[in-house]
Amino acid sequence: MRMTRIKATAVATLLALGLAACGNAGSDDDSGPDVKVSDNAAASFPDGSRMKALADSGTINIGVKFDQPGIGFKGATDDMPQGFDPEIGKILAASLGIEPDKIKWTETISANREPFLQKGQVDLVIASYSITDERRQVVGQAGPYYVTGQQLLVKKDSDISSIDDVKGKEVCSVTGSTSLDQIEAKGATPRGFDTYSECVDQVLNGTVDAMTTDGAILLGYAAEHPDDLKVAVDPFSEERYGVGYGKDHPEMCQWIVDTIKKAQDDGDWAKAFESTLGKSGVETPEPPTMDACPAS
Amino acid sequence: MTDVGTVGREPLVALDHVDKWFGQLHVLQDINLVIGRGEVVVVIGPSGSGKSTLCRAINRLETIDKGTIALDGQPLPQEGKALAQLRAEVGMVFQSFNLFAHKTILENVMLGPVKVRKQPKADAEKRARELLDRVGVGHQAEKYPAQLSGGQQQRVAIARALAMEPKVMLFDEPTSALDPEMIKEVLDVMVDLARGGMTMVVVTHEMGFARTAGDRVVFMADGRIVEENTPEEFFDNPRSERAKDFLSKILKH
Amino acid sequence: MNEVFSNFDLVLRAFWLTVQIAALSGVVSLVLGTVLVAMRIGPIGVLRQFATTYVTLVRNTPLLVVFIFIFIAAPNVGWFVHTPFLLKGVIAVSLYTSTFVCEALRSGINAVPVGQAEAARAIGMTFSQNLAHVVLPQAFRASVPPLGSTMIAMTKNTSVAAVFGLMEATGRMRFFTNRHADDAVGILIVFAVGYIVIVELISLASYGLERRWRAAR
Repeated sequence: MRMTRIKATAVATLLALGLAACGNAGSDDDSGPDVKVSDNAAASFPDGSRMKALADSGTINIGVKFDQPGIGFKGATDDMPQGFDPEIGKILAASLGIEPDKIKWTETISANREPFLQKGQVDLVIASYSITDERRQVVGQAGPYYVTGQQLLVKKDSDISSIDDVKGKEVCSVTGSTSLDQIEAKGATPRGFDTYSECVDQVLNGTVDAMTTDGAILLGYAAEHPDDLKVAVDPFSEERYGVGYGKDHPEMCQWIVDTIKKAQDDGDWAKAFESTLGKSGVETPEPPTMDACPAS
Repeated sequence: MTDVGTVGREPLVALDHVDKWFGQLHVLQDINLVIGRGEVVVVIGPSGSGKSTLCRAINRLETIDKGTIALDGQPLPQEGKALAQLRAEVGMVFQSFNLFAHKTILENVMLGPVKVRKQPKADAEKRARELLDRVGVGHQAEKYPAQLSGGQQQRVAIARALAMEPKVMLFDEPTSALDPEMIKEVLDVMVDLARGGMTMVVVTHEMGFARTAGDRVVFMADGRIVEENTPEEFFDNPRSERAKDFLSKILKH
Repeated sequence: MNEVFSNFDLVLRAFWLTVQIAALSGVVSLVLGTVLVAMRIGPIGVLRQFATTYVTLVRNTPLLVVFIFIFIAAPNVGWFVHTPFLLKGVIAVSLYTSTFVCEALRSGINAVPVGQAEAARAIGMTFSQNLAHVVLPQAFRASVPPLGSTMIAMTKNTSVAAVFGLMEATGRMRFFTNRHADDAVGILIVFAVGYIVIVELISLASYGLERRWRAAR
């Protein structure tokens, strides 16, 4: 985290020197589809529940990614993060009667999602947060609200067409990510970087052969460089994005599942997708079926 | 000034109208001095008279501002390879010995012949051991300088300079940093050297040495050569007031 | 911590890469630093100016920026595109560390009495012979403690490579902490111990050299 801050400074220095070309994804001026905010929402939640407390307070702190175009991205000059994850956040907040401009967005990175939830620094994490059994032992994860899978982002003229082609190739992702571990298992040389955008740079300038992570993220980058990059190979893993919540508030699970289910049924989910990830040209998928909440 | 000493000798070192300033201070003023082959010149004078500077100027450890200094007819070149070659011909012994602290006594003496003269190691070692024996520290060859006394170190320094087979040896106050009981062992080596015919320029306060081994005394004061003479004449009948004054001060003790 | 111990081969492999980067960079930056200091105190004005500018510029630049330059900025303009990552890492660490080596050596050179160089000149040594046989050997001996500190700092600095494609110890540590963020403290301790072991070995070597050379004088 410290590294990230130093890095931000360094990048800022480079920017000042005019050395770095900066991606400007997600800074479109539309702020996504309007979501109807519930009136008098607090009354609909039982006393003592976390939902009621949040509704009463009129604000909610949601952790999202700030560096993944299409998923969760906040440019330096943006007020609010853009992407599918923030849209899901707005849908959930709306059911508590909280307006989008009352939501406090916190940047979470892969390494701090569990600690942030455990310490209550954020109320929810919606940050391309794959559901795993290991994570479910320490935090709550409701969903999945979206299912994607690990794929490769390569140059348009790349000869990588199947996952077997990555053997002996250099493939980058974010240092410490599960994707990097999985591509190593496929025989590639893993190359970890601090951010996805640095990794994309490495693909663009030919230093590495491919970038790997969840297809949803790769789609965002492919949409940014449609002439140079493409998403290759069929998903070779299944990542089920869930909404993270604190284990000490198990009652939140059913609320999250119900709210998203409702959004899936009335088309808000599809609108959220179309205004974000859908811009890369992919068809809006069928919403996934969500897991049952653990009996509490 | 009479031309003593060089009569009948071939000139080896020649200083011609040499001037040097340290900032405002005129430390060498119009110095003219010729040192003949095989001659032993003792330079004396009060501190600050410029005698050390004169000595160091002869192998260009000090640069001069005006005039010329020639060695064996060749003017001193600018800093560089040619000057290094010329310095190899001039032995120098310092007041503070300046033995290479990280090298053994033997290595100190061998370094110049091996690296500068490109002599084979075995030859250089044989010669180094001979020289160390000659100055009486042969049995200390494997030790480091810090393990030796001042007098022993200075004798090693003489051996180090001799290893280069120099045409002339410069001694810059070689006994000033020594405890009294060690002065003699160094002077003995120097007297030996003088008797062997070495050309020597010796900056010193050792009047005994000047009388015993010197061919000529050069007396300096305030950056000038004030008086030159044979040691006997100079010590018994100094002509200048400055020399009389100086001698009266040092001979009182 | 259990996860770390059951995947201990991954930890060892990562530290092996850390050691490789550190050892190679150590050698390269010692050589480069020596060349720089020779330029800095040498008689050639252009080289002196170059070395002084280089040291001032690079020493005052964060290491991360040097890495970004080598790994991100340079490939974007076509340099180092096909250079192996390990080599790029060694280049970045060495370019940076050599400036500190240069300064440590320069302080060591200042500690060598003037008379040593004068005596070397007096027996006819050229500038480079003087440096190679008299001044630098003594400067190295005088610089052992600051050079040791420089090497220790360099070893820890290799961790920056974690986010530049090199799966060294810190990169592997992130892999563990991302998957087991709840056990971050335990994981951090294991990796900290690894670094401490490497750094202590450097300290011991440094003390050893210091003692040996002190005894030799």
